[in-house]
Amino acid sequence: MRVLISGYRGNPYCGGQGIYIYNLSRELAKLGVEVDVMVGPPYPDPLEEWATVYKIENLNIWSIKTKDIPYEKLVRIFSPWNFADYILTRLHMFPEMETYSFRAFFALKKILKEKRYDIIHDIQSLGWATVPMKGYGIPIVTTVHHPLTKDREADLMGNFGLWDKTTTILFYPLVMQSFVIKRLDRVITSFREGITELNKAFGVKPEKVSVVYNGMDVDLFQNTGEPREENALLFVGNTEDSKKGLIYLFEAMTMLPEDVTLTIVDDGPPKKMTAADMIKKFNLSHRVKFTGKLSYEALVSLYSRKTILVMSSLFEGFGLPAVEAMACKTPVVVTTAGSLKEVVTEDCGILVPPKDPIALKDAILKLLSDSELRKKMGENGRRRAVENFSWPVAAKNTLKVYEDVIREFRRKR
Amino acid sequence: MPRAKIWGIIAVLVSAFLFALSIFSFFILPEGNFGFFSDVNLMNLHPLTYYSAAVPLGLISLWVLATGFWIGWVILSIKVVPPMPEIVEKKDNSKIKAFFLCLITAGLAVLLVYGIYLRNFWALAIPALVISAVILGAVFWVGMAIITTRATLPVNKN
Repeated sequence: MRVLISGYRGNPYCGGQGIYIYNLSRELAKLGVEVDVMVGPPYPDPLEEWATVYKIENLNIWSIKTKDIPYEKLVRIFSPWNFADYILTRLHMFPEMETYSFRAFFALKKILKEKRYDIIHDIQSLGWATVPMKGYGIPIVTTVHHPLTKDREADLMGNFGLWDKTTTILFYPLVMQSFVIKRLDRVITSFREGITELNKAFGVKPEKVSVVYNGMDVDLFQNTGEPREENALLFVGNTEDSKKGLIYLFEAMTMLPEDVTLTIVDDGPPKKMTAADMIKKFNLSHRVKFTGKLSYEALVSLYSRKTILVMSSLFEGFGLPAVEAMACKTPVVVTTAGSLKEVVTEDCGILVPPKDPIALKDAILKLLSDSELRKKMGENGRRRAVENFSWPVAAKNTLKVYEDVIREFRRKR
Repeated sequence: MPRAKIWGIIAVLVSAFLFALSIFSFFILPEGNFGFFSDVNLMNLHPLTYYSAAVPLGLISLWVLATGFWIGWVILSIKVVPPMPEIVEKKDNSKIKAFFLCLITAGLAVLLVYGIYLRNFWALAIPALVISAVILGAVFWVGMAIITTRATLPVNKN
């Protein structure tokens, strides 16, 4: 089978898409699939060992003021797609997906003079030009971890005033995604509730959605054997993302004993102020610390040393930190929001309703006071992570979806 | 001088000249030949000639106005439940502003369609001027940035 994976951002260290492309392409190649990758910047780590990479240009100038755009990029703005990108970004839109899809459409036309593919796998770009791409006679599947409507709702909740709300609404290309997603052959999502979410957000028919759990590197994320700290909570995630429900975690912290501390793996002040302001408001400055961005090794070490991982999310499309913690034998306390109730079972963590700081506090206290339970949950978590959320499993399940889509596509023709 | 800087200067000069030319052509050249609400012999044009210009311009303008209306509508209809604590403490009058945004964009859209139907010159001229201003403004601004930014690339002596 020959597959073209297409994503508008490819760097494995700056976002989920890059990690997904890197690992999925590698594992598919191991299964005997011929993989090509078409990708926009930041470009991925070398994939040449197992895939042919086609790099698509993009200046990535969203949120950069014209005066601050590096000279090398400035002099490239006057090409048609870059100029379209520039104008749209100045109007507070996020056109990367749109322009990527057009560039990819024309690049693919050239590639198809020499190659053929059995299937194209779009990684949540859903740009306008993905629809005419179907004219090349190749089925197209897309991966959407969660609909962007969730992100927009969360952002609008935190916005104040007409201008903030307007820029948020302009930022998310929901009209485009809603139009494109319904016209593709299959949508892959990473949790069962995603089927309903995609139907509600974009009107995607449930029979067009397949669930494939995300993968993670279970070899990298292993318990290091370092001694566990007591009463040490861990939070991993973007503190500026209101979907993470950090405010409820801080509220729970105020009800927990003074010796319970929280480590947040993200940038703190002055780079990111949202969480810092809340910490000040709740008078938690002496109990909460930020680590900034960490290397994988340092993150694995933290997972292995801290007592519990806590996720107070209002919505999650997968919940990677929970799985990473489970793989490191760390018990978790998570909300039942989005995918978390599928990812975490009751034998490897405690699930609480979202937006309920008292339930969160009770669950944390229960685990902190029972080391035997923590150990048992940690062992179960590792087993669950290896069996369900490793990249080889994700690739095998994705391949099954490809085969199904190709079969259906050929039958229709 | 690096070639990119020369392109930057050309971009600034050409965009400034073209914008000045369009202002001159729209507002100064006619010199009282027609008022704001009078038609400028557009009636003499063949319907196909007129609508070949009016339809694309009208559609682009309507798309922009529809986007404005849609933004207002989303803000009006979004349910922020439960409100974030920091929002509760402040008074947010964005819903009132959003209502006016819907009202104004809808009004402008009606006016535009009616103006195109009447073959009013300004129904075409104003959208054309706005679109030109956005594009030429972008060219001008990028040109200025190229001229004033210090190059980090090695200068190609060839």
